[in-house]
Amino acid sequence: MSLEELLESGGVPKREDFSQEDLAKLFRKYKGLQKKQERDQAFWAATNENLKIAYEKLDEQERELARTYAIIQDDLSVASKIQAALLPQPSAKIVSELELAVYHKQLAEVGGDYYDFFNTSSGGYALGVFDISGHGVSAALVMTYLKAQFMTILESLDSPKEIVEWVNNTSYEFLKTVKKYATVNFVVMNTNTLRYVSGGGFGLLLSGKCGSVFEKRDAFLGLRRRAFREFELPFRKGDLLALYTDGITEAQNDAGEDYSVQRLNKLIIKNAKKPVQEILDLCMEDYTRFRNKDSDDITLLILRKKV
Amino acid sequence: MAKKKDTTDLVVFGATIQGFAQACINLNIVAGAKAENLIGEIEVTGWYPFEKLREIEKVVFEVYENSGPILERVGMEMMLGWYNFGPGKEIIKKGVDFLHFQTGSQGYASVVKGPEKLVGSFNLEFLDEDSGRAKINSTTPFNKDMERGVIIGGMSAPGDLDFIDVKNDENPQIFRIEFA
Repeated sequence: MSLEELLESGGVPKREDFSQEDLAKLFRKYKGLQKKQERDQAFWAATNENLKIAYEKLDEQERELARTYAIIQDDLSVASKIQAALLPQPSAKIVSELELAVYHKQLAEVGGDYYDFFNTSSGGYALGVFDISGHGVSAALVMTYLKAQFMTILESLDSPKEIVEWVNNTSYEFLKTVKKYATVNFVVMNTNTLRYVSGGGFGLLLSGKCGSVFEKRDAFLGLRRRAFREFELPFRKGDLLALYTDGITEAQNDAGEDYSVQRLNKLIIKNAKKPVQEILDLCMEDYTRFRNKDSDDITLLILRKKV
Repeated sequence: MAKKKDTTDLVVFGATIQGFAQACINLNIVAGAKAENLIGEIEVTGWYPFEKLREIEKVVFEVYENSGPILERVGMEMMLGWYNFGPGKEIIKKGVDFLHFQTGSQGYASVVKGPEKLVGSFNLEFLDEDSGRAKINSTTPFNKDMERGVIIGGMSAPGDLDFIDVKNDENPQIFRIEFA
């Protein structure tokens, strides 16, 4: 029987089954396997050593990442507090004249939705709701910039058109440079009317038995150097005004449907006689039930002129 | 881009560089986009500056602390590719033929060109088939661990030898070969 046949037979051969040549071949094969094993061992030892070093490096990188993440989280936490502090408290005049409810939530620690109350140069007051493109730190920085611009110009102007145009003209180059823009809803309150400018902002006014939605087709802040249009609507005792950003209306449910402006406005109209905080709570409950997740910053202001 | 043979530069045949890169990929030394970059721009029939090979070699040095056994395995893997998917089967029929192929550096000369001083040689200086011993002297600029792997891989590829051992630990340029 040849060596190959002996190996294939599966049994344990006897010494006499092997020829001298078979034994020599077996010896060579054994030596060959030994060498191969030595080479394999060296290869795997080098590979294992390499893996060990790679894991150690990975560990160190993970620790570094955790340290960096903690620093960023600390910074964001401070930024979040700063941004919250920049949001306004309504003045005594506003509190005395308006019943007011606000829902404001940033998607991340800081964000680009922004609302504000201002005193006008003629002793009245104004409201602004803005949605800065993008989210996070960059949008929050633009928010502080815009706040400063509005605060500056409101010391000398009280026409919403002039105010918004001035802010747009002075901010245009800056916003273009940082590749940002912002929707604007700017409302100046008068005795029995309100005047507004809207570039992409959402507004619903319920005055007596009439309902009006804001004409919002003007440009966003920072998008074009163009004139804005000013509109005037009645705003008497008992009238209700809702201002909001698209964070609510563009949120989607599991079927991919938008919450929609129509749904929000319908809900506000249906509950218009209720206290503003109750209307706001109903809106947010309905929104929360509808949407599968928040996908944008959210701002909703509901106010009624006190009787 | 393939570079034409130029006697003033040390150049390596594209198939050799690609074989080296492919061996690194087969052994998972590099993967993903890095691997694609390694072989993507190499034309097998082109000639490339020797530095191109050094670049790939550098990847191994960067990744492995102990690169010797790895480069030896890369050399072996390269020659399996050369034998199974390249011209190897046409050139050698038995393991010992690979040694004959190195006579007068003919194997090496087919993949490296340039000024003699830079090219060096990879020459079979001694062969005794009966006792299973041989000696190759290498003055090439190639890594010697990889060349040891090339000899082992080239002799193993036909599958007729039971035992192959190549040592160059006394003098890296002198490869003492035992085989049976």
